[in-house]
Amino acid sequence: MADPLEMLDLASDDPEAVRDCYAERGWGDGLPLVAPTPERVDAMLASSLGDADEPVATLPPRSGVATRRVIAVNAVLAGCRPEHLPVLVAGVRALARPEVNLRGVNATTHPVAPLLIVHGEIARTAGYNAGLGAFGPGNLANAATGRALRLLLLHIAGAVPGSGDASTQGGPAKYAYCVAENLAESPWGGYAASVGVDAPSAVTVHCGEAPHNFHDMESSEPAAILDKAASTMASLGSNNAPVSGAEFFVMMCPEHATACAAAGWTRSHVASYLHERARLRAGELRAAFALRAWAPWQEALPDDAPMALTEHPGNIKVVVVGGPGKHSSVIPSWGMTRSATVPVEPLAPGGSRR
Amino acid sequence: MRIYSPEGPVGPPSAGLAPHTPVLAGKRIGILDNSKPNAGLLLRRMAESLAARTGATVGLVERKNAALPAPDDLLARLAEAEVVLTGSAD
Repeated sequence: MADPLEMLDLASDDPEAVRDCYAERGWGDGLPLVAPTPERVDAMLASSLGDADEPVATLPPRSGVATRRVIAVNAVLAGCRPEHLPVLVAGVRALARPEVNLRGVNATTHPVAPLLIVHGEIARTAGYNAGLGAFGPGNLANAATGRALRLLLLHIAGAVPGSGDASTQGGPAKYAYCVAENLAESPWGGYAASVGVDAPSAVTVHCGEAPHNFHDMESSEPAAILDKAASTMASLGSNNAPVSGAEFFVMMCPEHATACAAAGWTRSHVASYLHERARLRAGELRAAFALRAWAPWQEALPDDAPMALTEHPGNIKVVVVGGPGKHSSVIPSWGMTRSATVPVEPLAPGGSRR
Repeated sequence: MRIYSPEGPVGPPSAGLAPHTPVLAGKRIGILDNSKPNAGLLLRRMAESLAARTGATVGLVERKNAALPAPDDLLARLAEAEVVLTGSAD
């Protein structure tokens, strides 16, 4: 059982008044905030089956204890609905997994932000957008959940620019970065099940850059479409270049995914092809980075060998996202982090207003 | 009206600093280099100046990735030094 939360007195519950009161204490993301009154926080918690004051995780670098209650406070601040709380609780569990390396993610000079991908039933029942414009703007669930995840990183984890967050330029993905998987239009089934999480609802956290677009308006051949993804991946600019064990998330629009599947390509065929095609000469990479985290066999490659931008095809993760059109995206990794997929706990009966 | 603080409590620290070593003469100084540019050079020069002034010796030098926690076996080796110099970030 964690200590009770501190309370503050406020003359008005205007969103601007909450923002200004918080800003005096170094809190908030700069935007107006919904007042986290006990009534609103209790209503938020009504969606959760778990103990409100049980620690869910401890988040670095502040070593803040994330209980459902303080997660709910941040959910209220961001404008979430109660049915979004279980997604955030799962997001916190994922962030706390050791392979995510949240201390590094929060503290680095890189502009990394955890992307929260919502999978399965809850994406539909809680109103997440997996279709047209899924990365935003315009959808309450994606915007508020993404914002709440950032607020709890600021407040609970202490990822405050200048103290717990040393990001040189920051980044727009650090305001809100949440999207849903388009399961209904995925020709390959759900992503979570493909990585062994066979739950009705799940979330994935991938700590990376903002999406890098690639488009192909004219091809029906998988290779032609994926060569454009590979070209986007084969860059000296991302941390995947010096860190060979890092992941890529390839967010394929339904039309690109369907074209690949129609030609008989599975998710792992796509990853294998991208591993083969997203390459730069080992010598070019070596010349660009004196500081490298490469596997020993990669260090042994001759300068003229084409070297994959990630060590293994399994590091290339394929998720279907978006609506009509022929734009997909690649999300390079921060590097010293691995994605994590965890189940979402069920909603309490009557916990949703939808 | 009353509103909640958004921070929540702070948990126990995962690690703390060892007690201060008042006299360095005869002690071993270890270096934990985070592999960032010039970190090793800076730490080694600092350790050598400290050793020259105090009668300590520069013993162990270990390197780690700046973005990851130091592995247990590396920390066990460094524990043989009475004082360790290190730095974080760039």
